[in-house]
Amino acid sequence: MNENSFTDSKRFEELQVGRLLFPLTSEELVEFNELARLRPAEEHDRFAPVVASLDLLCSDMHPELLPEHLRLAVQGQAEQEMASKKAVSLAKPSNITTSKSRTSNGLPWMISAACLLLALTSWLFNPRPIQPETNLDRLRMELLASKEEIVQATWFDGTTPIPNAQGDIVWSPTKQQGYMKFRGLPVNEPTKEQYQLWIFDENQSDSTPIDGGVFDISSEEGVVVPINAKLHVQSAYMFAITIEKPGGVVVSSRERLPLLAKLE
Amino acid sequence: MSEDIFLQTPLLPRIADGDPKAIDECIARYGSLVWSLARRLSSSMTDAEDAVQEIFIDIWKNADRFREDRAGEATFVATLARRRLIDRLRVSSRQVSSQTIDEKNFPIAGPLQTQPVELAEESSRAADCLLGLRSIERSVLELAIYEGLSQGRIAEITGLALGTVKTHARRGLLQLRACMNSRASRLAKEVEMK
Repeated sequence: MNENSFTDSKRFEELQVGRLLFPLTSEELVEFNELARLRPAEEHDRFAPVVASLDLLCSDMHPELLPEHLRLAVQGQAEQEMASKKAVSLAKPSNITTSKSRTSNGLPWMISAACLLLALTSWLFNPRPIQPETNLDRLRMELLASKEEIVQATWFDGTTPIPNAQGDIVWSPTKQQGYMKFRGLPVNEPTKEQYQLWIFDENQSDSTPIDGGVFDISSEEGVVVPINAKLHVQSAYMFAITIEKPGGVVVSSRERLPLLAKLE
Repeated sequence: MSEDIFLQTPLLPRIADGDPKAIDECIARYGSLVWSLARRLSSSMTDAEDAVQEIFIDIWKNADRFREDRAGEATFVATLARRRLIDRLRVSSRQVSSQTIDEKNFPIAGPLQTQPVELAEESSRAADCLLGLRSIERSVLELAIYEGLSQGRIAEITGLALGTVKTHARRGLLQLRACMNSRASRLAKEVEMK
Protein backbone atom coordinates (compact mmCIF):
# COMPACT_ATOMS: atom_id res chain seq x y z
CA MET A 1 0.00 0.00 0.00
CA ASN A 2 1.51 3.34 -1.02
CA GLU A 3 1.32 6.56 0.98
CA ASN A 4 -1.56 7.95 -1.07
CA SER A 5 -3.77 4.93 -0.67
CA PHE A 6 -3.03 4.86 3.07
CA THR A 7 -4.04 8.52 3.36
CA ASP A 8 -7.17 7.85 1.31
CA SER A 9 -8.13 4.90 3.49
CA LYS A 10 -7.69 6.93 6.65
CA ARG A 11 -9.67 9.79 5.17
CA PHE A 12 -12.39 7.40 4.04
CA GLU A 13 -12.63 6.03 7.58
CA GLU A 14 -12.88 9.56 8.94
CA LEU A 15 -15.68 10.37 6.54
CA GLN A 16 -17.50 7.13 7.43
CA VAL A 17 -17.29 8.05 11.10
CA GLY A 18 -18.45 11.56 10.30
CA ARG A 19 -21.35 10.22 8.27
CA LEU A 20 -22.54 8.18 11.25
CA LEU A 21 -21.91 10.65 14.05
CA PHE A 22 -21.92 14.18 12.64
CA PRO A 23 -23.54 15.64 9.54
CA LEU A 24 -21.02 15.83 6.69
CA THR A 25 -20.70 19.11 4.80
CA SER A 26 -21.64 19.13 1.11
CA GLU A 27 -17.94 19.04 0.19
CA GLU A 28 -17.30 16.10 2.54
CA LEU A 29 -20.28 14.28 1.11
CA VAL A 30 -18.90 14.68 -2.41
CA GLU A 31 -15.51 13.47 -1.16
CA PHE A 32 -17.12 10.48 0.55
CA ASN A 33 -18.99 9.54 -2.63
CA GLU A 34 -15.83 9.84 -4.71
CA LEU A 35 -13.83 7.63 -2.36
CA ALA A 36 -16.74 5.19 -2.01
CA ARG A 37 -16.86 4.70 -5.77
CA LEU A 38 -13.36 3.24 -5.62
CA ARG A 39 -14.21 0.71 -2.91
CA PRO A 40 -16.54 -2.29 -2.60
CA ALA A 41 -19.93 -1.60 -0.99
CA GLU A 42 -19.14 -3.67 2.10
CA GLU A 43 -16.40 -1.19 3.00
CA HIS A 44 -18.73 1.81 3.04
CA ASP A 45 -20.33 1.19 6.40
CA ARG A 46 -17.67 -0.50 8.47
CA PHE A 47 -18.58 1.30 11.67
CA ALA A 48 -22.37 1.14 11.42
CA PRO A 49 -22.78 -2.10 13.46
CA VAL A 50 -20.58 -0.76 16.27
CA VAL A 51 -22.48 2.52 16.50
CA ALA A 52 -25.79 0.63 16.30
CA SER A 53 -24.73 -1.52 19.28
CA LEU A 54 -24.04 1.61 21.29
CA ASP A 55 -27.38 3.09 20.25
CA LEU A 56 -29.14 -0.09 21.40
CA LEU A 57 -27.20 0.00 24.63
CA CYS A 58 -28.20 3.61 25.27
CA SER A 59 -31.83 2.84 24.50
CA ASP A 60 -31.69 -0.07 26.95
CA MET A 61 -30.18 1.99 29.72
CA HIS A 62 -32.74 4.77 29.31
CA PRO A 63 -35.90 3.13 27.97
CA GLU A 64 -38.63 5.49 26.81
CA LEU A 65 -41.96 4.46 25.35
CA LEU A 66 -43.05 5.88 22.04
CA PRO A 67 -45.83 8.39 22.83
CA GLU A 68 -49.29 7.07 21.99
CA HIS A 69 -50.20 9.86 19.55
CA LEU A 70 -46.97 9.25 17.67
CA ARG A 71 -47.56 5.50 17.61
CA LEU A 72 -50.98 6.12 16.06
CA ALA A 73 -49.49 8.49 13.48
CA VAL A 74 -46.83 5.94 12.53
CA GLN A 75 -49.49 3.24 12.28
CA GLY A 76 -51.60 5.45 9.99
CA GLN A 77 -48.61 6.10 7.76
CA ALA A 78 -47.84 2.41 7.60
CA GLU A 79 -51.37 1.65 6.42
CA GLN A 80 -50.98 4.27 3.70
CA GLU A 81 -47.64 2.85 2.68
CA MET A 82 -49.04 -0.68 2.46
CA ALA A 83 -52.04 0.62 0.49
CA SER A 84 -49.80 2.50 -1.95
CA LYS A 85 -47.68 -0.62 -2.48
CA LYS A 86 -50.83 -2.49 -3.40
CA ALA A 87 -51.94 0.37 -5.67
CA VAL A 88 -48.60 0.39 -7.48
CA SER A 89 -48.82 -3.35 -8.03
CA LEU A 90 -52.13 -2.77 -9.82
CA ALA A 91 -50.22 -0.87 -12.47
CA LYS A 92 -47.84 -3.75 -13.19
CA PRO A 93 -48.15 -5.60 -16.49
CA SER A 94 -49.16 -8.83 -14.73
CA ASN A 95 -52.44 -7.23 -13.80
CA ILE A 96 -53.39 -6.10 -17.27
CA THR A 97 -55.88 -8.96 -17.68
CA THR A 98 -57.82 -7.83 -14.62
CA SER A 99 -57.89 -4.31 -15.98
CA LYS A 100 -59.16 -5.43 -19.34
CA SER A 101 -61.94 -7.48 -17.86
CA ARG A 102 -63.06 -4.50 -15.78
CA THR A 103 -63.00 -2.34 -18.86
CA SER A 104 -65.23 -4.64 -20.90
CA ASN A 105 -67.71 -5.11 -18.07
CA GLY A 106 -68.19 -1.42 -17.51
CA LEU A 107 -67.48 -0.10 -20.98
CA PRO A 108 -70.22 2.57 -21.21
CA TRP A 109 -69.28 3.96 -17.81
CA MET A 110 -65.60 3.93 -18.66
CA ILE A 111 -66.16 5.76 -21.95
CA SER A 112 -68.20 8.53 -20.37
CA ALA A 113 -65.75 8.82 -17.49
CA ALA A 114 -62.82 8.95 -19.89
CA CYS A 115 -64.53 11.67 -21.97
CA LEU A 116 -65.26 13.69 -18.86
CA LEU A 117 -61.69 13.23 -17.73
CA LEU A 118 -60.31 14.17 -21.13
CA ALA A 119 -62.33 17.39 -21.10
CA LEU A 120 -61.18 18.15 -17.57
CA THR A 121 -57.57 17.38 -18.41
CA SER A 122 -57.68 19.57 -21.52
CA TRP A 123 -59.12 22.39 -19.48
CA LEU A 124 -56.59 22.09 -16.71
CA PHE A 125 -53.46 21.25 -18.60
CA ASN A 126 -53.91 22.57 -22.12
CA PRO A 127 -51.87 22.77 -24.31
CA ARG A 128 -49.53 19.98 -23.20
CA PRO A 129 -50.66 16.54 -22.06
CA ILE A 130 -49.22 15.24 -18.83
CA GLN A 131 -45.85 13.65 -19.40
CA PRO A 132 -44.57 12.55 -15.98
CA GLU A 133 -46.19 10.27 -13.41
CA THR A 134 -48.11 8.37 -16.08
CA ASN A 135 -48.82 5.51 -13.68
CA LEU A 136 -50.22 7.90 -11.12
CA ASP A 137 -52.33 9.54 -13.77
CA ARG A 138 -53.68 6.14 -14.76
CA LEU A 139 -54.43 5.30 -11.12
CA ARG A 140 -56.18 8.64 -10.78
CA MET A 141 -58.26 7.88 -13.86
CA GLU A 142 -59.14 4.46 -12.48
CA LEU A 143 -60.25 6.06 -9.25
CA LEU A 144 -62.39 8.60 -11.10
CA ALA A 145 -63.91 5.86 -13.22
CA SER A 146 -64.58 3.55 -10.29
CA LYS A 147 -67.99 3.12 -8.77
CA GLU A 148 -66.74 4.48 -5.47
CA GLU A 149 -68.09 7.73 -4.08
CA ILE A 150 -65.60 10.37 -5.25
CA VAL A 151 -65.20 13.96 -4.17
CA GLN A 152 -63.46 16.43 -6.43
CA ALA A 153 -62.51 20.08 -6.07
CA THR A 154 -60.48 22.65 -7.96
CA TRP A 155 -57.53 24.47 -6.41
CA PHE A 156 -57.91 28.21 -5.85
CA ASP A 157 -55.63 30.84 -4.37
CA GLY A 158 -54.71 30.44 -0.72
CA THR A 159 -53.43 33.15 1.63
CA THR A 160 -50.08 33.37 -0.19
CA PRO A 161 -51.05 32.63 -3.79
CA ILE A 162 -48.69 31.56 -6.55
CA PRO A 163 -49.67 33.10 -9.92
CA ASN A 164 -50.91 30.55 -12.48
CA ALA A 165 -50.88 27.60 -10.05
CA GLN A 166 -53.93 25.47 -10.73
CA GLY A 167 -55.23 21.93 -10.72
CA ASP A 168 -57.64 19.76 -8.81
CA ILE A 169 -57.95 17.14 -6.10
CA VAL A 170 -59.78 13.83 -6.26
CA TRP A 171 -60.54 11.86 -3.10
CA SER A 172 -62.32 8.61 -2.36
CA PRO A 173 -63.64 8.56 1.23
CA THR A 174 -64.31 4.83 1.08
CA LYS A 175 -60.94 3.86 -0.36
CA GLN A 176 -59.14 6.59 1.59
CA GLN A 177 -57.19 7.27 -1.57
CA GLY A 178 -56.82 10.29 -3.73
CA TYR A 179 -54.68 12.30 -6.11
CA MET A 180 -53.78 15.92 -6.62
CA LYS A 181 -53.09 17.47 -9.99
CA PHE A 182 -51.03 20.61 -10.35
CA ARG A 183 -49.91 22.88 -13.11
CA GLY A 184 -47.87 26.01 -12.58
CA LEU A 185 -46.75 25.10 -9.08
CA PRO A 186 -43.03 25.90 -8.90
CA VAL A 187 -40.51 23.05 -8.80
CA ASN A 188 -39.18 22.85 -5.24
CA GLU A 189 -35.70 22.06 -3.97
CA PRO A 190 -36.44 19.09 -1.63
CA THR A 191 -33.44 19.77 0.57
CA LYS A 192 -34.71 23.28 1.27
CA GLU A 193 -38.49 23.01 1.33
CA GLN A 194 -41.35 20.69 0.47
CA TYR A 195 -45.03 21.01 -0.21
CA GLN A 196 -47.42 19.52 2.33
CA LEU A 197 -51.12 18.71 2.01
CA TRP A 198 -53.56 19.26 4.89
CA ILE A 199 -57.03 17.71 4.97
CA PHE A 200 -59.72 19.52 6.95
CA ASP A 201 -62.20 17.03 8.34
CA GLU A 202 -65.61 17.88 9.78
CA ASN A 203 -64.82 15.63 12.71
CA GLN A 204 -61.48 17.30 13.42
CA SER A 205 -60.69 20.74 14.79
CA ASP A 206 -59.69 23.35 12.17
CA SER A 207 -56.51 23.94 14.11
CA THR A 208 -55.40 20.33 13.65
CA PRO A 209 -56.13 19.28 10.07
CA ILE A 210 -54.98 15.83 8.99
CA ASP A 211 -51.51 15.65 7.50
CA GLY A 212 -51.94 14.57 3.88
CA GLY A 213 -48.23 14.00 3.30
CA VAL A 214 -45.30 15.96 1.95
CA PHE A 215 -44.46 15.96 -1.74
CA ASP A 216 -42.23 17.51 -4.35
CA ILE A 217 -43.05 19.16 -7.65
CA SER A 218 -40.73 17.97 -10.38
CA SER A 219 -42.28 19.89 -13.26
CA GLU A 220 -44.43 22.97 -13.66
CA GLU A 221 -46.04 21.48 -16.74
CA GLY A 222 -48.37 19.14 -14.93
CA VAL A 223 -47.91 16.52 -12.25
CA VAL A 224 -50.08 14.04 -10.36
CA VAL A 225 -49.31 13.46 -6.70
CA PRO A 226 -50.87 10.73 -4.53
CA ILE A 227 -52.47 11.74 -1.25
CA ASN A 228 -50.84 10.17 1.77
CA ALA A 229 -53.22 10.89 4.66
CA LYS A 230 -51.66 10.06 8.00
CA LEU A 231 -55.01 9.46 9.70
CA HIS A 232 -58.40 8.14 8.62
CA VAL A 233 -60.33 10.93 6.90
CA GLN A 234 -64.02 10.74 7.81
CA SER A 235 -65.56 13.74 6.12
CA ALA A 236 -63.20 16.05 4.29
CA TYR A 237 -64.49 19.51 3.44
CA MET A 238 -61.33 21.44 2.54
CA PHE A 239 -57.76 20.78 1.41
CA ALA A 240 -54.80 23.12 1.76
CA ILE A 241 -51.25 23.12 0.42
CA THR A 242 -48.54 24.68 2.55
CA ILE A 243 -44.81 25.03 1.98
CA GLU A 244 -42.76 23.62 4.81
CA LYS A 245 -39.27 22.58 5.78
CA PRO A 246 -37.97 19.29 4.29
CA GLY A 247 -39.91 16.35 5.68
CA GLY A 248 -42.89 18.54 6.54
CA VAL A 249 -44.23 19.45 9.95
CA VAL A 250 -46.71 18.03 12.44
CA VAL A 251 -48.44 21.37 12.94
CA SER A 252 -48.17 24.03 10.24
CA SER A 253 -47.76 27.71 10.98
CA ARG A 254 -49.60 28.27 7.66
CA GLU A 255 -47.25 31.12 6.82
CA ARG A 256 -47.03 29.95 3.21
CA LEU A 257 -50.32 28.58 1.98
CA PRO A 258 -50.52 28.90 -1.82
CA LEU A 259 -53.50 26.68 -2.61
CA LEU A 260 -56.89 25.73 -1.18
CA ALA A 261 -59.65 23.45 -2.45
CA LYS A 262 -63.14 23.40 -0.96
CA LEU A 263 -65.85 20.81 -1.45
CA GLU A 264 -69.23 22.42 -2.15
CA MET B 1 -35.95 -5.43 26.67
CA SER B 2 -33.17 -5.48 24.12
CA GLU B 3 -32.67 -9.17 24.86
CA ASP B 4 -36.07 -9.71 23.28
CA ILE B 5 -35.13 -7.54 20.33
CA PHE B 6 -32.14 -9.73 19.57
CA LEU B 7 -33.81 -13.08 20.15
CA GLN B 8 -37.19 -12.59 18.54
CA THR B 9 -37.95 -13.67 15.00
CA PRO B 10 -37.31 -10.89 12.47
CA LEU B 11 -40.37 -8.92 11.40
CA LEU B 12 -39.03 -7.12 8.34
CA PRO B 13 -39.44 -10.07 5.94
CA ARG B 14 -43.11 -10.25 6.97
CA ILE B 15 -43.47 -6.51 6.43
CA ALA B 16 -41.88 -6.84 3.00
CA ASP B 17 -44.53 -9.48 2.26
CA GLY B 18 -47.27 -7.04 3.23
CA ASP B 19 -48.33 -8.61 6.54
CA PRO B 20 -50.18 -5.79 8.39
CA LYS B 21 -49.83 -7.52 11.78
CA ALA B 22 -46.06 -7.30 11.47
CA ILE B 23 -46.33 -3.51 11.21
CA ASP B 24 -47.92 -3.23 14.67
CA GLU B 25 -45.39 -5.67 16.13
CA CYS B 26 -42.55 -3.72 14.55
CA ILE B 27 -43.76 -0.42 16.04
CA ALA B 28 -44.11 -2.12 19.44
CA ARG B 29 -40.67 -3.73 19.22
CA TYR B 30 -38.63 -0.82 17.86
CA GLY B 31 -40.70 2.23 18.81
CA SER B 32 -38.72 2.82 21.97
CA LEU B 33 -35.35 2.45 20.22
CA VAL B 34 -36.31 4.83 17.41
CA TRP B 35 -37.83 7.34 19.84
CA SER B 36 -34.74 7.27 22.03
CA LEU B 37 -32.49 7.92 19.03
CA ALA B 38 -34.73 10.64 17.65
CA ARG B 39 -34.79 12.49 20.96
CA ARG B 40 -31.04 12.39 21.25
CA LEU B 41 -30.39 13.54 17.71
CA SER B 42 -33.11 16.15 17.23
CA SER B 43 -33.15 19.79 18.16
CA SER B 44 -36.68 19.82 19.54
CA MET B 45 -39.55 17.54 20.49
CA THR B 46 -41.42 18.47 17.29
CA ASP B 47 -38.38 17.67 15.25
CA ALA B 48 -38.03 14.32 17.02
CA GLU B 49 -41.67 13.47 16.32
CA ASP B 50 -41.28 14.32 12.64
CA ALA B 51 -38.10 12.27 12.50
CA VAL B 52 -39.76 9.18 14.02
CA GLN B 53 -42.39 9.22 11.30
CA GLU B 54 -39.78 9.54 8.59
CA ILE B 55 -37.71 6.73 10.10
CA PHE B 56 -40.62 4.31 10.15
CA ILE B 57 -41.40 5.15 6.53
CA ASP B 58 -37.77 4.30 5.77
CA ILE B 59 -38.20 1.02 7.64
CA TRP B 60 -41.32 0.05 5.67
CA LYS B 61 -39.67 1.01 2.40
CA ASN B 62 -36.41 -0.80 3.13
CA ALA B 63 -37.90 -3.91 4.73
CA ASP B 64 -37.12 -6.01 1.66
CA ARG B 65 -33.44 -5.03 1.85
CA PHE B 66 -32.93 -6.62 5.27
CA ARG B 67 -30.70 -9.72 5.18
CA GLU B 68 -30.62 -11.67 8.41
CA ASP B 69 -27.27 -13.24 7.59
CA ARG B 70 -25.56 -9.83 7.33
CA ALA B 71 -26.79 -8.04 10.46
CA GLY B 72 -29.35 -8.36 13.21
CA GLU B 73 -32.69 -6.71 12.65
CA ALA B 74 -32.23 -4.32 15.58
CA THR B 75 -28.88 -3.25 14.16
CA PHE B 76 -30.50 -2.70 10.77
CA VAL B 77 -33.25 -0.57 12.30
CA ALA B 78 -30.86 1.43 14.49
CA THR B 79 -28.58 2.15 11.52
CA LEU B 80 -31.48 3.21 9.33
CA ALA B 81 -32.75 5.49 12.08
CA ARG B 82 -29.37 7.06 12.75
CA ARG B 83 -28.75 7.69 9.06
CA ARG B 84 -32.06 9.45 8.70
CA LEU B 85 -31.45 11.57 11.80
CA ILE B 86 -27.95 12.59 10.77
CA ASP B 87 -29.24 13.36 7.30
CA ARG B 88 -31.95 15.57 8.77
CA LEU B 89 -29.28 17.42 10.71
CA ARG B 90 -27.22 17.79 7.56
CA VAL B 91 -30.15 19.07 5.51
CA SER B 92 -31.35 21.54 8.08
CA SER B 93 -27.77 22.53 8.97
CA ARG B 94 -28.88 22.53 12.55
CA GLN B 95 -26.28 21.55 15.03
CA VAL B 96 -27.65 19.90 18.14
CA SER B 97 -26.12 21.42 21.22
CA SER B 98 -26.83 20.90 24.86
CA GLN B 99 -28.26 24.43 25.04
CA THR B 100 -30.95 23.72 22.48
CA ILE B 101 -32.35 20.83 24.42
CA ASP B 102 -34.72 21.25 27.31
CA GLU B 103 -32.91 18.97 29.70
CA LYS B 104 -35.86 18.63 32.01
CA ASN B 105 -38.15 17.22 29.36
CA PHE B 106 -35.37 15.85 27.27
CA PRO B 107 -33.11 13.87 29.59
CA ILE B 108 -29.76 12.96 28.13
CA ALA B 109 -28.12 9.65 28.81
CA GLY B 110 -25.12 9.90 31.09
CA PRO B 111 -21.94 7.86 30.99
CA LEU B 112 -22.34 4.16 31.54
CA GLN B 113 -21.86 3.13 35.12
CA THR B 114 -24.25 0.25 35.55
CA GLN B 115 -22.99 -3.27 35.01
CA PRO B 116 -24.64 -4.50 31.83
CA VAL B 117 -25.94 -7.70 33.38
CA GLU B 118 -29.37 -7.53 31.81
CA LEU B 119 -28.29 -6.38 28.40
CA ALA B 120 -28.32 -8.46 25.30
CA GLU B 121 -25.04 -10.03 24.37
CA GLU B 122 -24.11 -7.60 21.62
CA SER B 123 -24.88 -4.52 23.65
CA SER B 124 -23.08 -6.05 26.60
CA ARG B 125 -19.98 -6.54 24.44
CA ALA B 126 -20.24 -2.93 23.27
CA ALA B 127 -20.46 -1.71 26.88
CA ASP B 128 -17.45 -3.76 27.96
CA CYS B 129 -15.38 -2.66 24.99
CA LEU B 130 -16.33 0.98 25.51
CA LEU B 131 -14.99 0.78 29.06
CA GLY B 132 -11.73 -0.52 27.64
CA LEU B 133 -11.10 2.62 25.55
CA ARG B 134 -8.84 5.49 26.59
CA SER B 135 -10.94 7.95 28.54
CA ILE B 136 -10.66 10.74 25.95
CA GLU B 137 -11.80 8.45 23.12
CA ARG B 138 -14.62 7.11 25.28
CA SER B 139 -15.71 10.67 26.16
CA VAL B 140 -15.75 11.77 22.53
CA LEU B 141 -17.88 8.76 21.53
CA GLU B 142 -20.23 9.13 24.47
CA LEU B 143 -20.76 12.82 23.74
CA ALA B 144 -21.35 12.11 20.07
CA ILE B 145 -23.51 8.99 20.40
CA TYR B 146 -25.29 9.29 23.73
CA GLU B 147 -25.71 13.03 23.75
CA GLY B 148 -25.88 13.67 20.01
CA LEU B 149 -23.48 16.62 20.19
CA SER B 150 -21.84 18.17 17.15
CA GLN B 151 -18.09 18.09 16.57
CA GLY B 152 -17.95 21.78 17.45
CA ARG B 153 -19.69 21.29 20.80
CA ILE B 154 -17.51 18.31 21.65
CA ALA B 155 -14.43 20.39 20.85
CA GLU B 156 -15.71 23.15 23.15
CA ILE B 157 -16.53 20.78 26.02
CA THR B 158 -13.34 18.73 25.84
CA GLY B 159 -11.01 21.56 24.82
CA LEU B 160 -9.79 19.48 21.86
CA ALA B 161 -9.20 20.86 18.38
CA LEU B 162 -11.92 20.00 15.85
CA GLY B 163 -9.59 17.73 13.89
CA THR B 164 -8.58 15.93 17.07
CA VAL B 165 -12.24 15.21 17.89
CA LYS B 166 -12.58 13.47 14.52
CA THR B 167 -9.37 11.53 15.07
CA HIS B 168 -10.44 10.33 18.52
CA ALA B 169 -13.86 9.34 17.20
CA ARG B 170 -12.27 7.33 14.40
CA ARG B 171 -9.68 5.66 16.64
CA GLY B 172 -12.32 4.92 19.27
CA LEU B 173 -14.63 3.25 16.77
CA LEU B 174 -11.76 1.28 15.20
CA GLN B 175 -10.80 -0.08 18.62
CA LEU B 176 -14.39 -0.79 19.56
CA ARG B 177 -14.90 -2.71 16.37
CA ALA B 178 -11.74 -4.75 16.87
CA CYS B 179 -12.65 -5.47 20.49
CA MET B 180 -16.23 -6.50 19.68
CA ASN B 181 -15.13 -8.72 16.77
CA SER B 182 -12.51 -10.39 18.94
CA ARG B 183 -15.01 -11.09 21.73
CA ALA B 184 -17.56 -12.39 19.24
CA SER B 185 -14.98 -14.78 17.74
CA ARG B 186 -13.97 -15.97 21.21
CA LEU B 187 -17.60 -16.61 22.09
CA ALA B 188 -18.16 -18.49 18.83
CA LYS B 189 -15.18 -20.73 19.60
CA GLU B 190 -16.48 -21.41 23.12
CA VAL B 191 -19.87 -22.39 21.70
CA GLU B 192 -18.17 -24.71 19.18
CA MET B 193 -16.16 -26.42 21.94
CA LYS B 194 -19.32 -27.10 23.96
